[in-house]
Amino acid sequence: MNVFLLYQDKEWTDTKQYFDHKSITQDLGLETLFMAASKEVIYEKGNVKKIEASDLYMFDVMRKVMMVPLQSEEEIKFRQAIVKDCLNNQMMIRDLYDISAKILIDWEKLGRRTIDKVRNKNTIAGVMTEISILSLFAKGLERIKIVLDKPKEELKSAGLINLRKRLNEDFSEETERKIKKVLQDISFYQDNTDSEASLVNKPRIVFECGIKDGLKISDIKLEEVVSKERKYRGPKNPITQVQKFINAWTPGSTAAQGSRAMEEQTAALEFSVVSYIVAACSPFMKMVGSFFDQLHLQTAFYLGAVNLQHHIDRFEVATCFPTVTTKERLLFKDLKEIIMCMEQRVDAVGNTCKITDKMLLIVTGANQGGKSTFLRSIGIAQIMFQCGLMVAAESFESGIFPSFFTHFTRREDSEMNSGRLDEELGRMNQIIDNVDKHSLILLNESFATTTEKEGSVIAYDIIKALVEAGVKVLTVTHLLSFAQRVFAETNDDPNSKVTFLSAERMEDGERTYKMIQHAPELTSFGLDLYDEIIEKRIED
Amino acid sequence: MGFTSILDLRDNPNKDLPRSIFFTDLNLEQIIKEIKINWEEDNTKYYYYFPADKECEDYRREVYKDIKNVDNYSLFFSYVEKTRECREIKAYKEKVTIYIQKEVWQIIEAGKYCDALICLEKEIRNVTFHSEGLIQFREYLQEYVKSDRFIKMNAITEEIRKKLSEFRFVVTYDKDNLVLTEGTVEGTYESFLDECCPERNRNMKSPFFDTVNLTQLEQELVKIIMKKEPEFFEKIEEFHKEFPNYEDEVIHRFGSEITYYLSFNSFQRKMEDAGFSFTTPTVDEDRPMMVTELYDLALACVNMRSDKPVVANSISYEEGESIFVLTGPNQGGKTTFARSLGQMIYFCKMGVDVPAVSANIHYFKDILTHFSVEESVETGRGKLKEELRRLAPMMVESYENTFVIINELFTTAANYDACIMGRNVVEHFIKQNCRGIYVTHLRELSELGNGVVSIRAALDEHRMQNFHIIRSQADDTACAVNQVNKYKLTYDQLKERLS
Repeated sequence: MNVFLLYQDKEWTDTKQYFDHKSITQDLGLETLFMAASKEVIYEKGNVKKIEASDLYMFDVMRKVMMVPLQSEEEIKFRQAIVKDCLNNQMMIRDLYDISAKILIDWEKLGRRTIDKVRNKNTIAGVMTEISILSLFAKGLERIKIVLDKPKEELKSAGLINLRKRLNEDFSEETERKIKKVLQDISFYQDNTDSEASLVNKPRIVFECGIKDGLKISDIKLEEVVSKERKYRGPKNPITQVQKFINAWTPGSTAAQGSRAMEEQTAALEFSVVSYIVAACSPFMKMVGSFFDQLHLQTAFYLGAVNLQHHIDRFEVATCFPTVTTKERLLFKDLKEIIMCMEQRVDAVGNTCKITDKMLLIVTGANQGGKSTFLRSIGIAQIMFQCGLMVAAESFESGIFPSFFTHFTRREDSEMNSGRLDEELGRMNQIIDNVDKHSLILLNESFATTTEKEGSVIAYDIIKALVEAGVKVLTVTHLLSFAQRVFAETNDDPNSKVTFLSAERMEDGERTYKMIQHAPELTSFGLDLYDEIIEKRIED
Repeated sequence: MGFTSILDLRDNPNKDLPRSIFFTDLNLEQIIKEIKINWEEDNTKYYYYFPADKECEDYRREVYKDIKNVDNYSLFFSYVEKTRECREIKAYKEKVTIYIQKEVWQIIEAGKYCDALICLEKEIRNVTFHSEGLIQFREYLQEYVKSDRFIKMNAITEEIRKKLSEFRFVVTYDKDNLVLTEGTVEGTYESFLDECCPERNRNMKSPFFDTVNLTQLEQELVKIIMKKEPEFFEKIEEFHKEFPNYEDEVIHRFGSEITYYLSFNSFQRKMEDAGFSFTTPTVDEDRPMMVTELYDLALACVNMRSDKPVVANSISYEEGESIFVLTGPNQGGKTTFARSLGQMIYFCKMGVDVPAVSANIHYFKDILTHFSVEESVETGRGKLKEELRRLAPMMVESYENTFVIINELFTTAANYDACIMGRNVVEHFIKQNCRGIYVTHLRELSELGNGVVSIRAALDEHRMQNFHIIRSQADDTACAVNQVNKYKLTYDQLKERLS
């Protein structure tokens, strides 16, 4: 019984995360995104009424799932279709998530971990717990089936349609009936004496056995196991007496009550039979248990996607489901840095780009001109795109880069010392160890921890080698000698794989925070900033 | 005298000797531990004594050659597995308190014993054995299973076991009452469970498995048979009177001793799969003693886990050569090489294969080792005293034709004294007609001549240890080289760095 909502043909496993996903999360500020996805937006009459507190499990799932890239267009489309279905059937995805959560909580309460750990399945308490879990699972599956059978809008995604189909096949009405019969047959074992109606639940057990193992009972064959409600009668009741009398006349008959040794043996017999039957169900339970684990996790991702959509909607930012193209192309319209929107609660400047046949993108230009924001917006979109989510743009088209790296200089602690450069080179060394032909690297102010001249040489050597090796590189840089050198080498080549972007500046020096294709300048307009901050103050 | 033991041709006085120190010095204990890992029986005692003489060593070597044949191995192994079952049953038998039950277990045990022997006899009947040991064992076994006593014992156990497995009962538990009758059922509920869960476990544990004794309910079942077929229990009684001890002593010993060969062979194959070679040594006194690609098996056991190779060395004792004096840099593989030589002599004497590609080995009466105790807190005179105290008996008692391994004696003595003492030791063992290896830092000892050969741990072209051992004059500078290398201070390195 498989969930198969994250992948068409496999369940979730934690493998193949982005190499150094921690850096990616930190560099792009993705925690904010995970957090938003884990918070439900409650609407009232079309307006946001309140934001729920974060669901920590969902936060964790988003962090895990978003950090494992999909590998193909097919996989991406598969998830996109499910996200669309979930946006159309928000009640359904919420129910699936809530039901599976509830079952897992109840399972936990029944002692899921202790059973796994102590392996006390062979105790009476252990067997009783197993029975409760079996009953919990059977009811849970029934509810999941009901939810999937009645979506508000017709399901269109292969993932959800197949899940529904599989459930109906693997947990058919017949299976359901059999499990219920098993539960009924062994119900005598649970303490369910109805004292008011003076009924007791008593078993009837018939089996065949041999004695070939040293006269001990062996190779048992069960013939009948059934629970019957019987009127409880005290030992002195006349009918009990009559029964005893009849029993005494049956050949080979022994009273199971009265003698302590016999009572112990019948208890052992009951226990053996029940634990044998429960054990027979344990493959089923194991399968259903991991089904619910997976269902909880996988629906968490899609419910997270629905939440994210709501959060993006609050800033009236357009979203789209991206399309896959070749790795030399990068096209988008009105792409926004959504994390900054969420953190600063503002609408960001959208950028539009049409870059074709390029493997190296060098962004230079004014400080505070939106370069890093621009780079991050691409990075965030790429990550969301590669896990099947929507992105914050009117349209977005990019290649698939399962091996995706970020190498950002963290400005707050960028000092001119060799230790920092050493650390930076160390990280670069690790990246180099792990790149392949499907790699994309975002460099943000790399090698700025040394002099501009030295940094330029390092950057030139590394980036040249990377691009020649078929790696796509997007870099925001201050290293103007590096940018100039690349520009001089490639400017006249019509087939050049390099393009340059700059932050736009109007005639009057005003910044639009938009990136335009533009040759690199000799100055990064730090003087402007100096003027704005220092000179202005002097003037005032 | 007919067949008695697969390990020894005659009474072996070595069995009762105290365990020699060389087991520790040569890291043999580690190897024996590794051999034991995948083996249920604790047969390590067989690894701790040498065969009585040269003839016995050859006897074992021949048996081991037969065991190395995979088919032979597996048929003896399956016999050993069956004796394990017998042992399990014996354990039950010893635990139960009800007399009749004890007797039944004994018959089941005897039955398994018969089955195992009949099966073994059938399987080895047409096998071509080359070793005296296995050929004689087969004769013994054939005689044994043909004996009237054995045939009768087998017939009775078979009959009783068949009967025992035919008793079937139906137990009905209902209305607080148990009804026990003879009979069978369809197994309706089993079929239902199969439908519910096809991949379920189909063997229901008995409710009373936690006690070996009969519960009251089980006693009731026995009573039913007693009433119906009293002659069944009479038969059991009879068997016990006739066969109180069913097991044959020689067969029993064989079952235990054969595991010596099997356990070593299973270990050897594991090592061979990991890429380490073994060879059956020839024992030809007319040719010089030689070995190619010998390695330290204990080190190989460790390296196997990390997929690391070991360094192998080849060497030979030419005519008139008695003692190798081994010098060279620290951490250059000297001790490892000395150990591997000792291990080679040990495994050869034990009659099994040695860790090398090929070997011709002479017969030695015993192995003698003297290793300095590395972790000893003693220094200076204290350590020297301790070393000399251990050395004293070796210099006094007779060790005619023994293989001697001496590792770093007298490191704390003054050079002049150490040279004199060392020479005395070497000359003493040469006089005793011993052969061996002497690892030392004393260059002077390598120049003694007269049966002494100088060998050295080699360095590669970068003056780094490569763990190979070569015949060569001792080299005074070698010891400090690795330290110099570590700090990149050799002449060449300094030139390069300063240019």
